[in-house]
Amino acid sequence: MFIARYMTTPALAIPQEMTIPAARELLQSRHFRHLPVVDDTGKLIGMITDRDLRSAYPSSVLSGETIKTCLAELDKTPVSAIMTRSFFTVSPSSTLDDALILLDRERVGALPVLDEGGKVVGIFSIRDLIKAYRTLFGLGERGSAMIVVEDDGNPKPLTRISRVLEEHRIRFTRLIRKDKDDALDKATIYLRVNTYNLSAVRNALKEAGFNVTIPTITLKPE
Amino acid sequence: MPTLPLTVITDPLCHRHDTGGNGHPEDPARLTVIAGRLGQSPLAPMITTMPPRPAERQWLTTVHSEEYLYRFEETTLAGKSYLDHPDNQLCFESYEAALLSAGAGLAAIDLLEGGATSRAFCCARPPGHHAERNLALGFCFLNNAAVAARYWQQAHGRRKVMIVDWDAHHGNGIQSAFEEDPEVFYLSLHEHPTWSFPGTGWKEETGLGAGKGTTCNIPLPPGSDDAAVMKAIAEQVEPALSRFVPEALVICAGFDGHVADDMSGLSYTTALYRQLGHCAARWAERYCRGKVLTLLEGGYELNSLAASVEMYLTGLATPEP
Repeated sequence: MFIARYMTTPALAIPQEMTIPAARELLQSRHFRHLPVVDDTGKLIGMITDRDLRSAYPSSVLSGETIKTCLAELDKTPVSAIMTRSFFTVSPSSTLDDALILLDRERVGALPVLDEGGKVVGIFSIRDLIKAYRTLFGLGERGSAMIVVEDDGNPKPLTRISRVLEEHRIRFTRLIRKDKDDALDKATIYLRVNTYNLSAVRNALKEAGFNVTIPTITLKPE
Repeated sequence: MPTLPLTVITDPLCHRHDTGGNGHPEDPARLTVIAGRLGQSPLAPMITTMPPRPAERQWLTTVHSEEYLYRFEETTLAGKSYLDHPDNQLCFESYEAALLSAGAGLAAIDLLEGGATSRAFCCARPPGHHAERNLALGFCFLNNAAVAARYWQQAHGRRKVMIVDWDAHHGNGIQSAFEEDPEVFYLSLHEHPTWSFPGTGWKEETGLGAGKGTTCNIPLPPGSDDAAVMKAIAEQVEPALSRFVPEALVICAGFDGHVADDMSGLSYTTALYRQLGHCAARWAERYCRGKVLTLLEGGYELNSLAASVEMYLTGLATPEP
């Protein structure tokens, strides 16, 4: 769950003196959307995004002459003139949860990852977060299936499920229990098994007193 | 009612692929119940039973690596009980059975191309559509459909092969074999991968590189019924066929989407399989000189399996009402 395992490295940071066109070219060539800006000592002083760079460029509806003047001006302008100086960071030992809360609350697309000395060691973007959770939830893991089980309300449901699966030597990789809430009318257990023998899974769960349900959704007509 | 002759390719050795009992779903009884049902069926007089031949190495290696074939054979000869995952139970004779299961398609294609039959059903096991180039998965060892498609292309010169797979589960092995190949179209209708084994077959996957546009996944939500399948056929499968214009047609027939089969959450009735038989016959007539090859994939609840196979073959061999 640590950011260190999921961040993009090495971190590509740029000096504050880099010009806007140079930064734009770098972003485009690397298909990045965020660049940390550092001072001479490597300390983070700002963030620049593809959106910041786009808005620095003149609008195409302006006259050719005006655009030319603007572009000439941009050629001399350092990124420090347009970078965002307020930024949010995480450390390699921060967790995916920390990053999710920050990305969600601050509505930013990426977080620079700083070591104890304040040096940029990586970047963690929303894409990295998606990839991390994809791996954690086993999405697209070839050879698995997800079973939905109704929580029967009796004590220790997860213990009972893992015990019966282990007794039957059924491989499973995820066991998640979700309480009843507005979106879910019954407490529900999601189980990712690593087998095709779903009959054996169902029989084992039945033996432990659980009811396997077929997940359905009723959509209101448009 | 006029009925077309049907050829069923099967072999007693396919029954000897022993998956260890203990309630393993892919059991020899699957073939026994189908044979019993067809023997009692009004279709019986129209059925000719033919033996398969073992698939030759040169055709197996169009899909699988030499190293994998060797590993598979060694595993059976060494008396081990499974290959790659405990799901894939096997016995001493499983390699021979798998060669026949893959070879059934080849024998059937020769009969179809030679004009001996126009409707061939390979009633063989182990099934094939989960098997990958180097991996046994989901009770499958050799990818019967993929080997058949390559054979059809290379031994009989039918370049454009369409594989329609309506087993309840996605045929990951077939998709990976042809993902980059514009001449083999893989189309699969299956339970949505969020819930279903093997967790592959997303709608967004449509092929790679030169094969872009010749993979089509139609995931169906759990609980989907006959109407959902027929809607997908009308809106997605038939347009795909008419765009691709196949020269050869392979149906991967799995019967585990039946409501009585607990290997999926789909809710098909027996009657759907008759409609699927009519569809396959119609596509064969329209595009493939009336010829269609059907391979048995899954289907594990014995009563619904036997009834659904009979229903499918009825649809395949009799005119639409």
